[in-house]
Amino acid sequence: MLINQDLAAFMASPVMIILGTRDGALVPEIARAVGAVVHREEGCVDLAVSEWQWSKTVANGRANGQLAVTFARPSDYVSYQVKGHATVASATAEHVALARRYIESMASTLGELGLERRVVAPWLVERDLVTLCLSVQEIFVQTPGAKAGQLIEQFP
Amino acid sequence: MTIRLRDLAACFEGVIPSIIATAAPDGMPNISYLSHVVLVDDERVALSNQFLSKTATNVRANPAAAVLLVDPRDGGQYRLDVMFEQTLDSGELFEEMAIQLRATSTQVGMGEVMRLRGVDIYRVRGGQAVPSPTPSQEVSSREAGLQLMAAAAVARRVSEASDVGTIVDAVLDGLREAFSFRHAMLLLKESAGERLVTVGSRGYERSGIGSEVLVGEGIIGTAASERRPVRVSDMSRIRRFSSAVHASSDEENRTRTIALPGMPDAMSQVALPMIAHGVLRGVLFLESSQRLAFTREDEAALAVVALQAAAALALAEAEILEGPSSVPVVADQSVLTGRGFRVVHYAYDDSIFIDNEYLIKGVPGRLLMHLLRIHQREGRTEFTNREIRLSEDLRLPDIKDNLETRLLLLRRRLEEKAAPVQLLRTSRGRIRLEVAGRAVLEEATS
Repeated sequence: MLINQDLAAFMASPVMIILGTRDGALVPEIARAVGAVVHREEGCVDLAVSEWQWSKTVANGRANGQLAVTFARPSDYVSYQVKGHATVASATAEHVALARRYIESMASTLGELGLERRVVAPWLVERDLVTLCLSVQEIFVQTPGAKAGQLIEQFP
Repeated sequence: MTIRLRDLAACFEGVIPSIIATAAPDGMPNISYLSHVVLVDDERVALSNQFLSKTATNVRANPAAAVLLVDPRDGGQYRLDVMFEQTLDSGELFEEMAIQLRATSTQVGMGEVMRLRGVDIYRVRGGQAVPSPTPSQEVSSREAGLQLMAAAAVARRVSEASDVGTIVDAVLDGLREAFSFRHAMLLLKESAGERLVTVGSRGYERSGIGSEVLVGEGIIGTAASERRPVRVSDMSRIRRFSSAVHASSDEENRTRTIALPGMPDAMSQVALPMIAHGVLRGVLFLESSQRLAFTREDEAALAVVALQAAAALALAEAEILEGPSSVPVVADQSVLTGRGFRVVHYAYDDSIFIDNEYLIKGVPGRLLMHLLRIHQREGRTEFTNREIRLSEDLRLPDIKDNLETRLLLLRRRLEEKAAPVQLLRTSRGRIRLEVAGRAVLEEATS
């Protein structure tokens, strides 16, 4: 399933990426990703996640794979949430390099908003990276406002 | 619990957005940013619910949720394990959150969008720090109890002051010396009740005495209309409510309006309503270029200071009504050494220009004309508040409850403009006009 080109570009730009998963008892978990690679034709998004920092999320990904991801641009809060099923893979060298670049550009984007590097460092961690490969089923607008939560695309 | 909620106070200041994750009964998670998380007590937090429709739906079916809080000082992250309990759409907590949201969002033109629908209460079952590669730094938080001592020190100063002017000064100087808060202003409400007028300030390039804020407008106006404190810890997302930062006297002369003072780079602001006898009397306002300059404890201590100042001001105004009744008869000729000066009065708004410089408008303007006319007619320079209050020329239907405030405003504005006429407070309920040179009074029609 094709992911819209603008949305794909947005997901790969310096936006904050937060992940929601849940365990077998439906207890939710939160994590942050440090970079996304969008495979538009396959309708997939690879997300780089520190297993060291977010072990429970990675465990949930391995156990049931249900995943929600919100991409939010810090300067204006434009946000999209994508949901689907994910598998966990070890991070390739390409993903590690991607995470480095993401952390660099995100830190400078947040810096322009007045947040010092030492403050943002705990949110941008690349230790023990794994990749969550999300097969996108639904895309929602999440920008605060009347349209928040609106479904914009659904893949069967 | 591994961490106490009260130790995470800085996380609840709304500087870095919090995050909530929920799960639908079919297992599909939802992840969303939160605009406001409020610490209710050691076991509960409250989340604002404006448009989190999926989160709201999910927790009604599956109450388990995760919340991520961020400490804005060092970026430290804390994960709370929470259970949804109930939604409130009224009550103290709801009102408090609704006002906070309104005060901050009307300024970015999102008042309607950000309307609070409900406050969701969650029970906190546990919390842990999220692993971080950088050690969380020991942030020295001001010791609890210090604010209380500072408030007591200000209260003592205020209690020694006996008239409106010295009370205002005692509050503002007290904030600077006891709390080390260097940018503050005190605004009093006009009797008509639509405007607040600045009667004193500290820490600004211009004092802004005589500048006005509409009740209901911005952080100051909201604190007045809602009669509750309003506090913002990170202004970077909020447009400044004061449009004119670079006010000049040319601008004043053109618009007959004095611009509100303000810090162009303010990051934290707090506005405290001043209420006495159930009546709003004004607003105490403080700001800082630091993020998180005012804690919840600071807000509480400042609220006490504002309320005590309101009581003292109400008392000072009431005492004036019982002030000396005898009209001074001494026609002491004041020194007429200076050159002459021209005072122009515009009747339609009672604005006064002295040698083409805008001074003030409204009742204080009318007061000055009245005093100058008597001075010219009788050569008298001493006046009592009582005689002014009873004067029929002045057409003052509503002046009785805050004549002192208007006189103070006039006095300070004359001082600030270094006008050739000055007003002095000689003793309780008495004032003296000091005129340097002959005043030429003119009535303008347009």
